Formats: sequence, structure tokens, C-alpha cells
Amino acid sequence: MQVELRRAVWRRFAGVLAPIALLVLSTLLASAQTPSDFTGNFSPLYQGLLSRPSDLTNTLQYAAAASADDIESAIGTYEQLLFYNPTLSRVRFELGVLYFRLGSYEMARSYLQSALQMHDITPDLSERAQDLIEIADKKLQVDQFTGYVQTGLAYQTNPGAGPGAQTALASGRTFNSNFFSRPDWNWFGAFGLNYVHDFENQNGDTFEASAVGYDAQEFRLHQFDVGVLEFRAGPRFGIPTGDPKTSLSIKPYLVATGALLADAPYYGGLGGGLTLHTNLGNVALDPYAEIVQQSFRNSSFYPLASGLSGTLSTYGLQASGPVVSSLSWQSRLGFGHASDHYGPYSYDVYAADLWLPWNFSFPGDGRVWTLIPSAGVSRWLYAAPDPNIDPTKTPRTTEWRVGLGLEIPLWRHLVLGTLVQYRADQSNIPAFTMHDLSVSAGPTFKF
Amino acid sequence: MRAYGIMVVLLAMTALTMPPAAAQQVGTATAVNPLSEGTPPGTATAPLTVGARIIHKEHIHTTPTGTVQLAFLDKSTLSIAPNTSIVINDFVYDPNSGKGHMLTTLTQGALRFVGGALSHAGEASIATPAAAVGIRGGTVTIVIDQHGVHIINQFGIITIHNGAGTTVLNRPGFEVTVLSWNTPPGQPERVTLAEIDHLLALLTSKPWEYGGVLGLHTVDIGACGVLGLRSNNCPNTPWVPTDTGLNNANQIITQGTQFGTGTTAPPPRYPGR
Repeated sequence: MQVELRRAVWRRFAGVLAPIALLVLSTLLASAQTPSDFTGNFSPLYQGLLSRPSDLTNTLQYAAAASADDIESAIGTYEQLLFYNPTLSRVRFELGVLYFRLGSYEMARSYLQSALQMHDITPDLSERAQDLIEIADKKLQVDQFTGYVQTGLAYQTNPGAGPGAQTALASGRTFNSNFFSRPDWNWFGAFGLNYVHDFENQNGDTFEASAVGYDAQEFRLHQFDVGVLEFRAGPRFGIPTGDPKTSLSIKPYLVATGALLADAPYYGGLGGGLTLHTNLGNVALDPYAEIVQQSFRNSSFYPLASGLSGTLSTYGLQASGPVVSSLSWQSRLGFGHASDHYGPYSYDVYAADLWLPWNFSFPGDGRVWTLIPSAGVSRWLYAAPDPNIDPTKTPRTTEWRVGLGLEIPLWRHLVLGTLVQYRADQSNIPAFTMHDLSVSAGPTFKF
Repeated sequence: MRAYGIMVVLLAMTALTMPPAAAQQVGTATAVNPLSEGTPPGTATAPLTVGARIIHKEHIHTTPTGTVQLAFLDKSTLSIAPNTSIVINDFVYDPNSGKGHMLTTLTQGALRFVGGALSHAGEASIATPAAAVGIRGGTVTIVIDQHGVHIINQFGIITIHNGAGTTVLNRPGFEVTVLSWNTPPGQPERVTLAEIDHLLALLTSKPWEYGGVLGLHTVDIGACGVLGLRSNNCPNTPWVPTDTGLNNANQIITQGTQFGTGTTAPPPRYPGR
């Protein structure tokens, strides 16, 4: 009886509740798409854009705010403003930058080029637009070349990374006095060249090659004259992710290096590696693994160098991303293991480096200055004591380095590159403890 | 009986208070150059003006001089060229969950779609006479002319599907041309800069037009990286380090100094000396 009563009451309530629920639901559904509900999860600025599109102050504020993290919405809004006045160079420029950030270089180029044709363009905006057009043009080529050439003078307090004079070795032997810490000037030249061939398929497959070279000639300490050349090349295979904001590619590559030291052949290396590229949001990630067979050659200044020959394996992660506005970061974490012919020379090394490049301009000047603070640390753990240096201690060295670079724009592609670096090595072996301050400057041509 | 009576009354109220799907606003006309017209379902065709509500299933048509930009609730936009006809077939969007879907039909002319929340979830598509275009991302321009339907990817993943096959555009700057529903979509090709220039001019106001809003003479936007006038819109061109060779050289020299140079044995000790 009681059960029947409960059922009757339930039926009655259900009969009333069902249409009420339907009413509430239908009202909610309908209101989800009525103008009065622009308040849902809409920002007040976007709500204003929809309800009062001719409120220019509101529309501009929304476009500027959206530029930070909603590029497409910012594009839609600046294109709205362009409808109101298609002759504004600044709006066209902003659209060019937004499409550039999306990787839509042909749209970026077209907007930037059209900005240059507007009567109201200022010299600094024109310079910025032309710089971006050049980059976009390169990105649209099947064969893309970028790089730099640099020359200059450098002063180092300790170019050979040697210990202080009179440093005694625990082995009782004497450290070669040619390599004690002494200052010197040098002339240096450097270049970097990157080549990309775009196969123009929808996976984004490319062939990439790079060369880096450096040569320094000391004014007095010619035992530290050095020349280094490094080539890397390999195909990069794009892997579709199904998400336009996430890229993924893999690249096997070959690496070949060579070096002269004290104007004599000193080092050659041949190997290969595998690197991956992906991104998490704005952060680009490039993990890698590389193995190089190293061959060192003895010379009059370096009679024991061949003991360093062996295999060097490195594993690491390079990463980069924006911090805020025009400030970004780049970092590298790495581990290396060297297995050398002469056992005590073998080592493990852990390294971490951080760069914070900041692009800035002065009002009314479209030229871009770049300030690059950097810091890094490496921990070297050798395999065994070296009887020639200290038969009882296995070397353990921590290398600290800080730097401040400044690239000063001179003319178009020409900048004055300056760099101040300080390095300090702390080791349980006095002969490996050193510090060095270097200051360098010189014109750099970037292309 | 009383409960049923209440139910009938409430159902009637429901029917009265729930606007028909066709009357739901899905967006706003944010810029209009005459003559552009809208035909909401069940009502007469009328000229569009800035701020006009765009209704579910509305038919939008532009004359040879008309251009329009529509902004939708999910923050997507459509820029519509002269001589274009579209219908907003379907637009369902819940701003709280960000979910829903959008279907637009382009029967004539050209448009550029700039994506919002729905296309970011892969829930936006544009039907054309020759192919259905699914958009994930994304920004796409679609043109119908005498050579067929041209679909240009400007950002995102664009899936072009018809009765004869499917092609996917993953990269910005590539286009596919489709002749008819029963012809396979063509191979992706790089779009020419001249084509892009033409479309940019087509899909906005002419120099003498003002999109229905007068008074925009200058804009005050901070510039990226300019001291004191910061902007959020920075191209973030990657900084290329120029000290790679220097660092390689430093390591070679350090190892050479520490291990390669050799040490000198102490002089032998002679008894009695």
C-alpha cells in the first residue's frame, strides 16, 4: 500500500518536474545563443565587439589583448578594422605580423607589402616591415639559405684555459709553462651557414645542412691559434599530428668536424645523430642523441693529444620559447660520455645553458637591438686519476660561465656584435682550476 | 488530472518562451559595404548594416560592390567577397564548454574563414558545390570561379572531401582546386603571391569604402620591443647564436691544455747531492 502511494506521488511529481526541466533546459539552450548571453564565457571586450562593433576603442583594445595568445581572433579583429579603413599601414602591419606568427608567410608578406604602399607608413614601420618581408621571402623559397659572417678582435685573460703560474702537480712533475694563464689578444673570424631544401609536400619534409666555422689567431700565444669547422646534414621527416598547433619531425643526420690547433692538424671527428622536433604550446623542444668517433693527432705543442681519441656520445635537449613580448629564452641540457684511448681521459659531462635574447628598439627607430644574457654550468667527471698530474685523485671539475652579448644594428644586415664572457673552472686538481674573462667585438653580417 | 493540466500549461509556456532555432543569433555583422543583404529564415531579404544580428540559417548575399565581415560567438570570422552567397546552415556553440559545431554553405563567390573555438576543435566545415571543407585550426580562403573551387590553407589542417576522394592540406600557403563533386580533389600546390594579393584586396574594403563605420583615421598600437610602448604582437624571429664555433674552440683548447701538452718529469735525484 505504502509502495503504491510512493509511486503515485512520484508520478505526480514527475509529471510536474518533467516539463519544468524541459522549460529550464530549453531556456538554457536557447539562451546559449542569444545576444543577452554574450556574457557566458565571453570576455567583456569580445562581448562589446559583438554587441557594439562600431565602438572602435573597444575593438582596438580587444585586438591588442587577443594578440597575446589568440592570434586568429586578433586577425579577425584587425581585418574588421581594415574594413573600416583599408589605408591604415599600421593595421596591415599588425596583420602581417600575426600571419607571420602563424607561419602563414605568403599572407604575412602580402599584408606587409601592402603596408609599405600606404601613405601613412612611418620610416621605422617601413624598416620593420621590410625586415619581416625578407624573412618571409626566404621561408617561401624551396632552397633557403641563412647565416652569418663575423670578424673582430677579442681580449682574453686566459685564452689557453690554463692554471696560474707556479701551479704544482701532485705527481711531482712540472706543468708545461707555455700553458700557464696569460692574457692575449686575438683576431677571430666566424661563420654559420644553414641550408634548407623544402620538398613542398604536406608533411613538411626537408633536407637540412649547416656549417659552422671559427678561426682565432693569437697575437703572441700561438699555441692557442685555433680553427674549427663543423658540418651537419640530414633529411627531416615531418610527422602529421592532427593538431595544427603541434608540430613533430624527426631528423637523422651526419656530423663531421675538424680542427687545427697551434696551426697544425689536431682533431677530426665523424659521426651521426638523431634529433626530434616538437612543441608544447609555445615551447619548442629538440631532443637529440649523437655519437662521434674522435681522432686527435699529436703535435709539437700537444704531444699527448692522441690519448684523447675515442668515442663521444652526447644526449641532450634544446628548448626555446617566448617569455613575454620580445623576450625569449633558449636552453640546452646535455649529457656526454667520452670513452678515450687513454683511460684517465675518459669522462662524463653534464651541462646546462640558458640564453635570454631580448629584442628591443628605441622609439621612432625600427632597427632592432638584441641583448643576450647567458649562463651555463658543466660538471666534468673523469674516469680515473692521471698519474702524470695527480696519481691519487680522479679529476672533478665544475665549469661556470656567464655572458652578456649585445648586437647593435648598424645598417640593414650589418650589426656590431659584442660579447663579454666570464668563465671559472673549479676543480679538485689545482692545474684544472682556472678563470678567464673575454671581451670581443666585431661587425657581423647576418643573412 | 491536475498534474496533467500543469504539464500542458508548462509545455505551452515552453513552446512560447523557447525561440525557434531559426531565430537564434549566432553572430554579428561587424563590417558591411553596400550592398549586402541578409535573409533570415521566414523573413524578407533586407540590407545588412553594421551590428545586425546574424541568425541561424540566415542567407547572406553580396552584390558586385558588397563586402561583409561576420563575427561569430565562438570568435571565428567570415570575410565575404562581392558576388557571394552563403548560408549559415548550422551553428551550435556553448561558450561555457566551448563545444558545438558550425556548417556554412558557400554557393557562389569567395570567403575567408578565420577560426575560433569550434574550428580549433575540428568542428567547423564549409560546404561548396564541389567539396566539403573540414577545418581544424584554422584559416582558409575558398573561391568559386569558372575553374572550380579553390581551397587555400592559410593555417591549420584542411580536409577536402567529395564524392571522388579526400585530400588533406597540412601546410599554410598551399591550395587545392576541385572541379566538381565527382572529380577527385587536385594535388596541393603552392599558392602564388599574386593570388594572395588579389584575394586580400577582394576580401576587404576598397580604399574609398569604410565598412559601415566612419571615424577610424589612426590607430595607436604599441610596437613590439619598443621601449615604453610594448605590444603583444611580436614576430619572435629566433635569435641565432653566433658563438657556436667559439664554444667548440674553447673546449678543444681546454682539453688540449689539460691533457695534451705533456708534463715534465722532475730532475733525477742523485745520492749525496
